[in-house]
Amino acid sequence: MTEKQPTYTEAMQRLEAIVSTLERGGMGLDETLKLYEEGAELLRLCKTELTTAEGRLNELQLDEIESELQAEEQ
Amino acid sequence: MTGRGEVTTGPLPIGQFVQLVKQSVTRDPLFKNQALRGEVTQWKQYPSGHTYFSLRDQDGQMRAVIWKGRCVIDPSIKEGSEVVILASLDLYIRRGEIQLNVERIEPVSVLGELEKAKRLLVEQLKKEGEFDRPRQVIPTIPKHIAIITGAGSAALSDMQRLIENRWPGLRRTVIGVLVQGPRATEEIVRGLAVARRLSQPSVAEKRGEPPVDVVIVGRGGGSPEDLWAFNLEPVARSIIASPVPVVSAVGHESDVLVSDLVADLRASTPSDAIERVVPVLPELHYFLDEFEERLSVAARRQFRENMQRLRTLHARLRVAPMAGLNRAKTKLLSLSSRMKVSANQSVGIQKTRLAQFEASLAAIHPQRVLERGDSMTQTADGSVLSSVEGLESGQEIILQFADGSADAEIKETHSKEGEK
Repeated sequence: MTEKQPTYTEAMQRLEAIVSTLERGGMGLDETLKLYEEGAELLRLCKTELTTAEGRLNELQLDEIESELQAEEQ
Repeated sequence: MTGRGEVTTGPLPIGQFVQLVKQSVTRDPLFKNQALRGEVTQWKQYPSGHTYFSLRDQDGQMRAVIWKGRCVIDPSIKEGSEVVILASLDLYIRRGEIQLNVERIEPVSVLGELEKAKRLLVEQLKKEGEFDRPRQVIPTIPKHIAIITGAGSAALSDMQRLIENRWPGLRRTVIGVLVQGPRATEEIVRGLAVARRLSQPSVAEKRGEPPVDVVIVGRGGGSPEDLWAFNLEPVARSIIASPVPVVSAVGHESDVLVSDLVADLRASTPSDAIERVVPVLPELHYFLDEFEERLSVAARRQFRENMQRLRTLHARLRVAPMAGLNRAKTKLLSLSSRMKVSANQSVGIQKTRLAQFEASLAAIHPQRVLERGDSMTQTADGSVLSSVEGLESGQEIILQFADGSADAEIKETHSKEGEK
């Protein structure tokens, strides 16, 4: 896992690695627990990511949004 | 069938019918010497001297033929050329197909100029390495899409509908701009500037939404002139300068514009852009659920395996003290017997060695030497002589044999060195 919060793609890749490692088996209790917790955390992260993609639908004319942005700047 | 005023008694042979249609078509003044404008496609000049092509625009098309020698054909006319023709409608009886008999054909020179400008721009951008520059990656989960296109256009409603099908409620900002006409270039550039502003975290924060992380710029199909803004340098430069990935989604599949060449991703149509940018939410949920299932199944199995291992270890641990003691006892016994054997062996070896030593010692005793037939020479005081050195004439010596001794006197000495 990278130090900062992983992207969705990174999280999915890491999840794939964790799940395959666990599925291969032969792990100690400690390691199993560690991997499971990491996997659960990544899943939570991905789900949050999906909900943050939902939001406002703006549909504005060029002039409107330009003046909106200008107003915000002042 | 009943013809117009013509009484028929049965089904009309098709050939006759086609003839009738041809008469009707060629007689109509509306279809004679009509000036028509469109794009040339399927342009083919045959060795016979006839030229066949289709004239089309976004709303329709028709086959056309220029009979050999009918008119002068500008050599710049080719596939994709915008032309104006003077033509009359005709019907090719053998096939029953309507076609245009062309009397004159002229390229639309404005478009020629535009094409030339486009070519030059493409060459320039290529020289600057803009086509080889690394492209930005479209985010897997777009958190805020900016769509720059014609407000109220069919392309926009197609895109909106498609987004709602794939991911209802996905965050997006539509920036409505003019996509054709003299102001299109300027508006598209300004639209891209707005998207750039919205991609800045500080601006996004003020607006209470995530920064724009992907931009779709485009429009539906149209004539080459309608799409032309997307072939112009200001639009190309704005796309290149975008800090977030830009998807170019202009016209139909066959239209390749400069914006397509410089964008981070080229979509063949606006709908294609949505399909390439917007994931299908239920699919994402499905993947996550699957991972969740696999994770918990695998982890549970690991726990079970570990528990099983623990139980086995526990059982072994319980019988371990007794087993250990017995093992120790056996080991001790075996050790002590091995020790005895090795001690005995060791004494035996020492004895043998001693006997060998005595034997070799005996072999080199002086008496044994004499017994082998040698004699020993001593001075009168008994010291053994081993050299001629120091002996003088007249000196008394004693010769020792195995069975006795003899006194003798040196007559003369000869040193081996002297002989040399």
